Amino acid sequence: MNVKTALFLAITSIKRGNKGTLAMTILIMTLAYVNLVFISSIFGGIVQAINSQAINNQYSNIVITPNINDTYIKKSHARQYLLAIPGITGVATHYVDDPVIEFDKNSTGENIEKGRWTLKSIVPQEEEKVTNIYKSIVAGSYLKATDRDQIILGKEIAGGYGGDLGYLSLGVKVGDQVDVHFSNGIKRTYIVKGIFSTKSTQVNQSAFITKKEMESVLHVHNWSSEILVKIATTGNENKYIKEIRQTGFKNEDIKKWSDLMGFTAGASKSFDMISIILGVIGTIVAGITIFIIIFVSVVNKRKQIGILKAIGMREGTIVLYFVIQALFYGIVGVLFGISLILFVIRPFFIANPLSFPVGWVSLKITFNIIRISNLSLIGAALIGGFFPAYRGAKESILNSLWG
Amino acid sequence: MIIQVKNLKKTYEGTVPVKVLKNINFGIKKGEFVALMGRSGSGKSTLLHQLGLLDTPTAGEIIIENINLVSLTEKQKSQFRLKKLGYVFQSYALLPELTVLESVFLPLMLDDIPKKEYKEKAADMLINVGLGNKLNHLPQELSGGEQQRIAIARALVNDPLILFADEPTANLDRESSLTVLKLFRKLNQNIGQTIIMVTHEPEDAKYADRIIWLRDGVIEEN
Repeated sequence: MNVKTALFLAITSIKRGNKGTLAMTILIMTLAYVNLVFISSIFGGIVQAINSQAINNQYSNIVITPNINDTYIKKSHARQYLLAIPGITGVATHYVDDPVIEFDKNSTGENIEKGRWTLKSIVPQEEEKVTNIYKSIVAGSYLKATDRDQIILGKEIAGGYGGDLGYLSLGVKVGDQVDVHFSNGIKRTYIVKGIFSTKSTQVNQSAFITKKEMESVLHVHNWSSEILVKIATTGNENKYIKEIRQTGFKNEDIKKWSDLMGFTAGASKSFDMISIILGVIGTIVAGITIFIIIFVSVVNKRKQIGILKAIGMREGTIVLYFVIQALFYGIVGVLFGISLILFVIRPFFIANPLSFPVGWVSLKITFNIIRISNLSLIGAALIGGFFPAYRGAKESILNSLWG
Repeated sequence: MIIQVKNLKKTYEGTVPVKVLKNINFGIKKGEFVALMGRSGSGKSTLLHQLGLLDTPTAGEIIIENINLVSLTEKQKSQFRLKKLGYVFQSYALLPELTVLESVFLPLMLDDIPKKEYKEKAADMLINVGLGNKLNHLPQELSGGEQQRIAIARALVNDPLILFADEPTANLDRESSLTVLKLFRKLNQNIGQTIIMVTHEPEDAKYADRIIWLRDGVIEEN
């Protein structure tokens, strides 16, 4: 095999061949590459949105709940212990109850809307370091630490604001009063201070009051039903769970956010699987495209192949001559594709993210996606280029010469 | 003898096998200019293809430099074609994307000759065939006669033992044909180039030292 001659012929062929065909081939390769990266990235973006919603609005990174035999975590200084661990950036303690919330629409007692929802207590400043509920207020305002007779409701409880479960909601506005029947039998009336809307339907079906208020109802002090722990870097949860255990949380149930994802974790896996399947199909299509391009080139250059063989060029050199061309198309497709993705498509989606039920979805372009897409397209070019070239080179000299 | 042919047979298999060459025997001396002639279908081109290793005979031996070419592997045949044989085809057989100079230095490049050397040698060869002023032209910018002279330069640039020419003047006007034939004659006389040429034209055959006549796959007259 004479690499130098194969390279020379390939470069000459690309340089002096039909420019329109060259441009079209590169365009096809570029689009095939963009297709590979885009599909993986958009699914990656959806999975990221699902995960972000779970981390930012629901579970944070780590959730500590009482042992199955206990109602509360009875550690008065739990928050201080946890914040002492380096790398933990926020800790929020919650009391959780499932009260019935009622709204007497006309204040006549004749048109009462009610339902059972999750009510949690928060310390507003603590919560801001752990979840983004405070950023999700769409009407009214967020709670203050001193609020006692005020409640904030998710949009699925309040109603309106594009909620998915309007038929279950109370139809309240900011300033309306609701009655809350706690599970211990106590009833309190609260003014709706704010309504929040996240991209998680589950979070939007919850309500919040202050910790002080909840403690006065439950008659407890400085305990908690759940503790949410925020860490600096998502992905290191297992390491922190170990440290939390060593800090004294021996019997509590400690889980990372992904363990609590339930059906959405299954959805994430399904998206990954769809992404892989579409990626494989995209790679095969790119390979077939290159195959057709090189096949047509080999058919058109059948006579030239005969001439090259007649003057003493080995089959291996002829195959290499076509494979180098295919690789050129693949590599240029990758380079143009990367440029298109990084400088056009990605900025566009950052500026205009897609609104999905799971959150705002942008492209999640990782080094791994780029690497796999590069290898896929170049591999497809290599294989797609090799077979027609091999077939052409194997043909007898006279058959090739006679075209 | 530079080439010795013994009991050479070629049959094209098919529903009805066609015996194109039937027990051919002859020899050619170094420096001879031989014309292969015969009617259409007589087997002259097929014989040239067997001698030039462009096709594989059904039986027999082709001995060049004491090597029976029929027994070589495909790789060895490629190497032999590159180093020992040169070809001129009826239809010029040039690569349209290569310039005149590139077309000629291609065999030298394949033979791993250093770049400076192969460029110089190819340019010299093109000057010899009268194309020294058209080195950077593409074939389609030249006349048929000029294109055939590129093919001749390419065939000779590797200093082949034998130059095979398959009806080299068939596509040329009379003037270009004469130029090509005179060039063959000059090469044969000046450097002792062995040439085997297939031709239809008795006029062309006059330039050869010897004529081998074929009829229905056998040598009628040598």
